[in-house]
Amino acid sequence: MLDEVERARFARLVLPHMDAAYSLARWLTRDPAQAEEAVQEGYLRAFKFFGTFRGEDARPWILGVVRNACFRLLEQEKAGRSTPFDEQAHGEDAAAPGTVVRFPVDPEAAAIERADRELLQRCLRGLAPEYREALVLRELQGCSYREIGQIAGVPLGTVMSRLARARRLLQRALAADLPQRGTGT
Amino acid sequence: MSCQDQDAARRLDAYLDAELDVPGTLALEEHLRSCAGCRAVLARLSALRTALQREAPPEKAPERLRERLEARLAPPALRAGLSWQWGFALAAPGIAALAIALWLAFSAPAFPPLAPQASSMRVVYHISSTATARGALRNLANHLNASPEVRVVVVAHNDGVDFLLRGARDETGQPFEPEVRRFLERGVDFRVCYNTLERRHIGASEVIPAATLVPSGIAEISRLQSKEGYSYMRL
Repeated sequence: MLDEVERARFARLVLPHMDAAYSLARWLTRDPAQAEEAVQEGYLRAFKFFGTFRGEDARPWILGVVRNACFRLLEQEKAGRSTPFDEQAHGEDAAAPGTVVRFPVDPEAAAIERADRELLQRCLRGLAPEYREALVLRELQGCSYREIGQIAGVPLGTVMSRLARARRLLQRALAADLPQRGTGT
Repeated sequence: MSCQDQDAARRLDAYLDAELDVPGTLALEEHLRSCAGCRAVLARLSALRTALQREAPPEKAPERLRERLEARLAPPALRAGLSWQWGFALAAPGIAALAIALWLAFSAPAFPPLAPQASSMRVVYHISSTATARGALRNLANHLNASPEVRVVVVAHNDGVDFLLRGARDETGQPFEPEVRRFLERGVDFRVCYNTLERRHIGASEVIPAATLVPSGIAEISRLQSKEGYSYMRL
């Protein structure tokens, strides 16, 4: 009967997170077909190893499994082609994290807040996967730092620095495209 | 306007994310009062969050992905429409067969079990309001008494999920859970719409263990009707 119980447990604990897993996979792979593939692989794997999962909150666990499937796909893709992603333009920004140079106080915040969907999604897609992952998990999935660390398999300090860096990179990418305001500062 | 307090500047993200402890939060708020630079950075981080949450809304997993996974997670015997208890019974003799049985047992579908093939009458009860839950359960009891062989799935959706939450009671103060358990023993399935939970910010752990979650109540109802031959009853 254990299997029956486990099956019900899987349905109750893991299945409801499929949308969250798919959302994450969409952002990580940047491709609907690959996202589906990653979710499928992740769920099948999760089901296979469900016996090793303890506890009640399966969200970080299943997101971690699907996240790893995404990165495996990305690596395969990278190995299969020689041209780099278009993310290099933004991802290779050389400025150190936290070195924010100027603050046209409210206008810039207001401009960021008004950024349209096309621009915002393009800039987010342009970030390197580790940064995109941190932002998506925090801002779109509402994960805590501890959960992000668990999902991405990195220590808390790395979560904090990646997230801070991701936000600055995204801001900078947006600023490059947003209508220029308050250039006198 | 740049802030000289590198330590404070580094903590702005954690402050925004509510990840600082109480003393840390108080200290940073003290700093923010006097530092326009950090206030500006914080405003921008916060604006970024607002924009992201608005313009990158969560995606739904495609229905075909769900269906494919269901099919992949179900063993072949189940896919052919055989109940898994049957698969187990047929496979029981012999070690190789035992291995198959174990495999069947382990890889049986992770989703609400398929309706037994033998049952002729199948009805899905749609409960979308708590006010009608008590009456619906009364009708359900009458229904089962009149036709014990009927297979019933109750799908709770919208305000109808409340009676399947932990500690739920009706207007007379009677708890729902014992009654739900009794129905469960009589073969009734209770399925809760996860979309509703998410929309209403109800944690999955608040749902009583007797009920299972389905991604979408509406999708489940139409699936039961179109794929499994259920008739629909709204209460």
